Amino acid sequence: MTGAARSSLVLPVGLAITMLLAILSLRFGLRDIAWPEIWNALFAFDPMNADHITLRELRLSRVTAALIGGAALGLAGALMQAMTRNPLADPGLLGVNGGAAIGVVISIWILGASAQAALIAPALIGAGIAAVLVLVLGGAAHRSGPDPTRLVLAGAALSALFLALTWAVLLMSREALDVFRFWVLGGFTGISMTQVLAVLPVYAVGFPLAFLAARLLSPLILGDDAARALGVRVWLVRLICVGAVVLLCGATVSLAGPIAFVGLLVPHLVRPFTGVSIPKLALGSTILGACLATFADLAGRFLLPGREVEAGVVIAMIGGPALVILVRRRQEVPL
Amino acid sequence: MRLAAVTLVMAVAFAQAALSQSRMIEHAYGTAQVSGTPERIVSLSYIGHDFLLALDVKPIALRHWYGNFEKAVWPWAEDALGDAEPVILYGGIDIEQIAMLAPDLILAQWSGLTEREYALLSQIAPTIAHPKGERAYSASWQQMTRQVGLAVGREDEAEQVISDIEDQFEAIRSAHPEWQSQTAIAILPSRLSAFGARDLRGRFLQDLGFQFPTAVSGIDDFDPNFIRIPHEAIGVADTDLVVWVDTPDVNDVLAAIPLRHTMQAFQEGREIYTDYELTGALNHSSPLSLPYALDRITPLIEAATDGNPETVVPGWTRDGKVIQP
Repeated sequence: MTGAARSSLVLPVGLAITMLLAILSLRFGLRDIAWPEIWNALFAFDPMNADHITLRELRLSRVTAALIGGAALGLAGALMQAMTRNPLADPGLLGVNGGAAIGVVISIWILGASAQAALIAPALIGAGIAAVLVLVLGGAAHRSGPDPTRLVLAGAALSALFLALTWAVLLMSREALDVFRFWVLGGFTGISMTQVLAVLPVYAVGFPLAFLAARLLSPLILGDDAARALGVRVWLVRLICVGAVVLLCGATVSLAGPIAFVGLLVPHLVRPFTGVSIPKLALGSTILGACLATFADLAGRFLLPGREVEAGVVIAMIGGPALVILVRRRQEVPL
Repeated sequence: MRLAAVTLVMAVAFAQAALSQSRMIEHAYGTAQVSGTPERIVSLSYIGHDFLLALDVKPIALRHWYGNFEKAVWPWAEDALGDAEPVILYGGIDIEQIAMLAPDLILAQWSGLTEREYALLSQIAPTIAHPKGERAYSASWQQMTRQVGLAVGREDEAEQVISDIEDQFEAIRSAHPEWQSQTAIAILPSRLSAFGARDLRGRFLQDLGFQFPTAVSGIDDFDPNFIRIPHEAIGVADTDLVVWVDTPDVNDVLAAIPLRHTMQAFQEGREIYTDYELTGALNHSSPLSLPYALDRITPLIEAATDGNPETVVPGWTRDGKVIQP
């Protein structure tokens, strides 16, 4: 099969698998909901039927969050790796997760927040502040735009700072530690549709911006100078790219906590099918990201009796070994 | 012969004197040896000061847990503390700060003390961690009272305090024999987490006669003291009595539990809500807080378990909302 045929087939197949997983996510869990009840829950809702409520108010929002959140992380990972020309780049490098974490612990410590819903706004604010700081330190205001190396260094430095501050708060407050240790696992359980809708505007800006960035990034593969010679405004492309990554990751971390490995792993899995084309890589990573997150969320319901394992934990269990295998096989397409 | 007899009598007397002065207290990390009456006690257990004050012993330093009270002790312990002004220890266990206080006894039964911290602290003064055979936060209030009594040389007072409070429990139990066949659970609604069977709050309900629901002990959580209940499996917590403990914005939090109104406990009015101070009393479960907790919680439980769904439990509105002050 030629590369073009493979890449044209892989998208519909990936999409189909993702949709199948999403439907299975509605059906299976700690409470088994029969197929007819799923139909009834959607079209003949009985507000006193526990199955119907579970489907409508728990599973539907959960699978929506997994689909959008996974897609956002996969897409952001593809952009990060393409922009920094570094196969190990991960959206977490921009300090967004660290910023969200410090926002969360401060809000628990000072405001006494403990419900998951109350943590979304502070996480988003923390992620936003972190993003602005990383952009400024990374040279966004510079004439040539943010420099990828400086960006990553600034992100790493700020992440370390945020981590230290987070632990400082956790040492002072036992309640903060009690809430934080579950938030930090990352997962889609307990997310309500209201919460999904609350961050939807951020995604609505983030996704189009990210696909625009993917198109604009292509000339940069040749190097900054060659791109400039072609008339590309390199600083603007980078700014759009970083902005999109920050929006996508900020929204996801505030909704589901920090979920590692999706952004790092997914582009590597997609690249053999799409080749070097950044727009194709971005689209493929979006679909596979959604697929991986939905699978992890579903798999987590079967691992331990009577309880659910957070999707973030499942992804880490899959992601660690998968990355090692990928590196050992060395089959990824060079950047 | 006579000389030998006298020597023997004297030896026994000395041995008895030595025994009465030096007490061995076994705990999870070893055995602490305490002699005489400790004067400078540092209390590292988050609730330990209550146990000391119940025996009329005042620590020189106590641990802040939560709540904004002037001396970091809750209202039920204020009188017992009196004019004493112990140092308040905030945050994690600070070995240097404790060393500066020059303690002669360190009590850390409900503090999450690690073995490493114990190794350092026990060089400063005899240190007592959680009781042997228990986890960091699984000891009963009786075990802790007994250990504290032994450590400060007030075993008799400790036994007296224990039997007084056990009598109060017994009086309520015998007034409500029907509770023996019922299940009960205490849940923190904001995290939908149940207090486990060996947690202080889980033990409290069992001390009243209720049984811990087996379906909840079947959940394999990392922390058996604080068992997270998946929302869609809330049925495991649908017991004969459901105790929602205090949390900020409790009505919003309860409303965000989608399956709550499908619980029989909700439909039949068998839920109670413990407000901030009552929750604090359960959280402490100390000889000082338990009488307060029993006084306040018993009428609530009686109203919830009277078998009549029409009874409105004090603190609730008719449609199952918490009445906020």
